[in-house]
Amino acid sequence: MKSLHLATLAATAAAGGSAFATQYLTVEQAQRAMFPDATRFADASLQLAPEQMRQVEKLAGLPARSVNWRVFAAYRGDALLGHMVLDDVIGKFELISYAVGVNPDASIKQVEILTYRESHGFEIKSPAWRKQFVGKTAQSGLAVGEGIANISGATLSCTHVTDGVRRIAAIAQVMLKK
Amino acid sequence: MMRRAQPWLGTLVDITIADSLGAAELAACFDDAFAAVAEVQRLMSFHDPQSDVSRINRALPDVAVPVHAHTHAVLRAALDVFEASAGIFDIACAPRLVEAGCLPAPGSDRVRYLPGGSALALDDGFLVTKSRPLWIDLGGIAKGYAVDLAIHALRSRGVRSACVNAGGDLRVLGDHPVSIRDPRSPGEMALQIDLRDAALATSANYFSGRTTDARSVLIDGRNGRACPGDFSVTVQALNCMLADALTKVVAATKDARHTALPRFGASAFII
Repeated sequence: MKSLHLATLAATAAAGGSAFATQYLTVEQAQRAMFPDATRFADASLQLAPEQMRQVEKLAGLPARSVNWRVFAAYRGDALLGHMVLDDVIGKFELISYAVGVNPDASIKQVEILTYRESHGFEIKSPAWRKQFVGKTAQSGLAVGEGIANISGATLSCTHVTDGVRRIAAIAQVMLKK
Repeated sequence: MMRRAQPWLGTLVDITIADSLGAAELAACFDDAFAAVAEVQRLMSFHDPQSDVSRINRALPDVAVPVHAHTHAVLRAALDVFEASAGIFDIACAPRLVEAGCLPAPGSDRVRYLPGGSALALDDGFLVTKSRPLWIDLGGIAKGYAVDLAIHALRSRGVRSACVNAGGDLRVLGDHPVSIRDPRSPGEMALQIDLRDAALATSANYFSGRTTDARSVLIDGRNGRACPGDFSVTVQALNCMLADALTKVVAATKDARHTALPRFGASAFII
């Protein structure tokens, strides 16, 4: 149960701030998750020329948005295994940092969320406000707890991430395809 | 403990594994669990023209469409909940979501929503036959099934403490506290619930009202009308597929003690 205890501490720390945040993977952890066979990662960051920006926009059907892209190349010895592209997207409520693994043929290998942050406050309602549900939940066989953990709520759309991945697929097609 | 998230099924699928495992074993557990979710998207996406759902939607009436065992299992459950709820939960509501601009039309032909009767027949050979033109959308049940498959994948690798959360449809192995958002102020948490080896699904309008994500749109199958309001419905059940589907029944009736719930061993509350 040690790990669960740590989880509670981490969640409490997040709740103490002004926003709800979840850290999933660091950049290094994402590299290893996407390319477990890699022996080294090299900086391969990109700068898109105006003509390349136009090609990306045409392929993705979306504005290319940025000239500069943070990219790592994954190698096993001298063999290129693929790339990992980093990006952030801002939705109405959330800021999501994510990484896209790209195969040498420019196809998408994997998408991993690095961090998720909600822009509005994350607070636990006052005990008085919550009390009105205690009877109801007990009746329905649910116990009201005190911990802080995973959130159940209406489905959060990830349209912004999906669009972002499409843009990166186009960048890979224009810039990274071998 | 390790937590990873990937975008699938139109939302973020967040997986926590609390067991103490070596790095390679942990990576294999995450790979299997996310692969299970990916398979559900491949089979049941409304948007993917190759999915079982799209093949059913394009099929002519009286032509049997072979589907994967997973799709068959979800369709079977959907028809069971349809029957238990007297037509409130209806996967054939897709034409209403297309009209509302929440889903793209699956073909050039227009299909009109008709309440009452699913007009969908399943046989044991994994064949699906429509008796009239209709479009189905499994957005109200497939996320829950994907969560169940991911949990099965983790359990078969010996994991004892985990949580799989597909944007609010979640299931846990072992003991995990879960927070429920306040539907009138989604940045705040209304309450926490201690779950043990159970599934919990919450449906509400607070995110879908601001986006065009059709998966959150709640439709009453009896009349095809949306269920507006700033409330949320939470259902606990033994599996997440049923919890997911039953939230729509409670949302349409505003009845947290609807007779369909005990039939599936489920319970609910409304905030």
